[in-house]
Amino acid sequence: MAATTILKLDGLSKNFGAFQALRNICLEIIEGEFLTIVGPSGSGKTTLIRLLVGMDQPTEGEIRLRGTRIESTPANKRPTCMVFQSLALFPHRTVGQNIEFPLKIRGEPPARRKERACELLELLRLPLEYYGKRIAQCSGGEQQRVALARALAFDPEILFFDEPLSALDYRLRKALEKELKDLHERTGKTFVYITHSLEEAMVMSDRIAIMNAGRFEQIATADQIYARPVSKFVAEFMGEVNLFDISGTDRRGIGSGSLGSKDNLDLGLAGDEVGTLMVRPEFVRRVEGKGSSDFWVRGQLRAEYLLGSRLHYEFDCDDGTTLTVEKLREDRFRCAPGDEFLLGWDLANSHVIRSRG
Amino acid sequence: MGASRSTKLALYAYAALVVAFLYLPLVSVGFASISRARYLTFPIKKYATKWYGSAFASETVMDLLVVSLRIALIVAAVSMTVGFFGALAFARYNWRYRSLFQKVILLPIFFPQAVLGLALLIWFNALGVIPDWKTAVVAHLVWIAPIATLIIAIRAYSFDPALEEAASDMGASTWQILREITIPLLMPGIISAGLFAFLLSWGNFPLSLFTTGADSTLPEWLYAKVVSGYTPLVPTVGVLTVAGSLLLIGIAFAVFHVFKFASSRSA
Amino acid sequence: MDKANQRFGFLCSLPILVVLGLGFLAPLAVVALYSTMPERVFSLANFPTFEAFRTLVEQSYYKSLLWSLGMAVVATCMLFLLCWPLAYAMAKVFRSFALAITILVVMSLFVSENIRLFGWSLTLMKGGLLEGHARAWFGIGFEGLLYNVPIIVFGLVYVYLPFMLFPLAQGIAMIPDDARQAATDLGASRWQLLIEIDLPLAAPGIAVGSLLTFVLAAGALAESKLLGGQAVIVIADEIETAFTYSQNWPLGSALSVVLIVIIGCLVTYGLARVDLDSIIGRNR
Repeated sequence: MAATTILKLDGLSKNFGAFQALRNICLEIIEGEFLTIVGPSGSGKTTLIRLLVGMDQPTEGEIRLRGTRIESTPANKRPTCMVFQSLALFPHRTVGQNIEFPLKIRGEPPARRKERACELLELLRLPLEYYGKRIAQCSGGEQQRVALARALAFDPEILFFDEPLSALDYRLRKALEKELKDLHERTGKTFVYITHSLEEAMVMSDRIAIMNAGRFEQIATADQIYARPVSKFVAEFMGEVNLFDISGTDRRGIGSGSLGSKDNLDLGLAGDEVGTLMVRPEFVRRVEGKGSSDFWVRGQLRAEYLLGSRLHYEFDCDDGTTLTVEKLREDRFRCAPGDEFLLGWDLANSHVIRSRG
Repeated sequence: MGASRSTKLALYAYAALVVAFLYLPLVSVGFASISRARYLTFPIKKYATKWYGSAFASETVMDLLVVSLRIALIVAAVSMTVGFFGALAFARYNWRYRSLFQKVILLPIFFPQAVLGLALLIWFNALGVIPDWKTAVVAHLVWIAPIATLIIAIRAYSFDPALEEAASDMGASTWQILREITIPLLMPGIISAGLFAFLLSWGNFPLSLFTTGADSTLPEWLYAKVVSGYTPLVPTVGVLTVAGSLLLIGIAFAVFHVFKFASSRSA
Repeated sequence: MDKANQRFGFLCSLPILVVLGLGFLAPLAVVALYSTMPERVFSLANFPTFEAFRTLVEQSYYKSLLWSLGMAVVATCMLFLLCWPLAYAMAKVFRSFALAITILVVMSLFVSENIRLFGWSLTLMKGGLLEGHARAWFGIGFEGLLYNVPIIVFGLVYVYLPFMLFPLAQGIAMIPDDARQAATDLGASRWQLLIEIDLPLAAPGIAVGSLLTFVLAAGALAESKLLGGQAVIVIADEIETAFTYSQNWPLGSALSVVLIVIIGCLVTYGLARVDLDSIIGRNR
């Protein structure tokens, strides 16, 4: 893919009084990609999307759309469009009138508008009879599609999404996630999606940007972020994880000493350098003796939880920390609470996060 | 909350009693208006509708009707406009002095109308304005525009600001947003505010009493006649005034249902 | 959006603020000015003397004020007790019936209060609806029930009932059902439920309703004139007489100022404690 930058954010900051909602945000959005911005609530992602759409102005920094600065252009003058969290469908208009709204604003003739609305209904796999239906008569999933159709009718350069699936129930959400990804492929448009749900981000996106406390922690593919997080925050945000503080000389876990390891491992840390050793729970296995894996820890089983297809175990280690382990059902441990285990994993399945500064 | 059957029954009975209490005096006025005798005593011996004939024939009554109608129509129109913007400031926009504004708007409602009427009388005098029906319009507005604002505000609270933002995002200008989104969505509130404004102005007495000058409204004339110089026309005109309100409410309900029917059919 | 909110909010508030500035604030200011003028002058171009306030005390005008305030307090208390069960039922028990009651009560408001009070005098007078029928059917005649203090309070209760009922119902509707259920579940009796849950949670509605009825009743005029005869002279009546019959504007203004100050303090104190967004914006 010839990567052209469509939207470039440079040094973007937003303050609300003394509160810094966004700090020095830099990001290049590539034409045609599906980028998801994920973060816990309060991380600043809604503030960011409001700046990107033009409903708010940044305190500092630039937004360039294909090289042109747009940060002080109001929303109604920008060629971008957003699907709102509440969908913001006009309740006093029919489905058809909602979809036609941007065309009407642009002053297109009624016949053209209707033709385009029908095309979009088809694209979103809604029956044509829906044209005259009222919004209140549509189900949650149908309203979702109408909102999408309306945004596409605008024919935006970039389509933004502000957690539009968050109000739906689990099954419908799963189905729409896949549909949205499919729609992205069919339309070839640039999608920028905001959510607090990591699962949503992983299913749909080409790239994920993890946001925390008003800045990006990491921007990469889902796979990279999961396996090679750049910070403890990202590691923990991306699901269950076991973390051990280590340094170049002390491989046994700083201040705990419960971690055992082979001597000749290259962790990529200099002698006095401090870092965090990370291993995902699915890579931890039961080992026969010390040395049969690169790292090992002794633990006593506290509890077993059933998570559908997987099982989740919590072990108490000698030093009072907890180790979590996940196994597929077929690999279930035959054990009871109180049983002692030696647990181990290999360097290839671990990752070392270097401490910053 | 599970109120027991007997409690519920008692509450229904109580509600009916309160409503009866509110309407009992109107029953008396109604009977009085069809009594034949010039000097009214109950029980009524002979019924007659002749007073209605005289009321319709009376030029005074027609003049009163025209003045009352004119004031009420203007008050309703102005209240709808002022109240629409007031409601946006009250409920929609989150601006710095909003909670102060909300309280200032309420002050004229929390104020004895007779005293307000007299204060306005002195104020018009200080300005050198001779009171007539136009000053009464101003007086009514002081009390009714805040009420209209509150009625529209109730609607404006349930209005999702994202709708306006979405319209703006799709290229609509401020004026287009107002015309396409805000006004249509608040319309039910605006119409009921207009209806309230008309009816409250139509029936208002304490403000009109001091601010109409040489002109006179129906409630004022009734009061004057009750206090001094009772005529059998008093209950008749009273009933006609009430009938006017009822007619308007009836029309409003009918129009509302026709609209509702039409829009449910079109979908 | 923040800047836009500030600007549009301010702009939208302007029309009604202009109406209130010209029709409410300015008249009150003029009344306040007049109250400082020497008695019986009609222009503001005099040296302020505050004579009128002395007259007000010396000639026992405060008695009218006390009558008005006293009757307003009694009417407010009675209305609270009368309206509570109905407001409770409208908010929590009745379903579509609550709408019917609301419509019926609101419609009564559209009938001029003097027509309704006139109706009561037709009902209660000697030879009226009650006495006339009682005499004709049962042979029990009695004097008319009009022209005394209790009937004025009755008139106040009658006229201002909706002003207590609706805020109260709105306040009671703000009580979450699960709070009541939780309290019952934790062993609260009906009485404890009322004291611990209902009254505190409905407090904003109670405050608004009581303030509204008290203030309107304290400045009421028609009830004492149409039902009370001359049993007592209320403060609004004194103000009217001073402005019209006696042509003593400074005295009328001074009386108004005293009433306005009392009402103003109560309303400011009361409204400052009420969150209007939660009362009016409840129906979202």
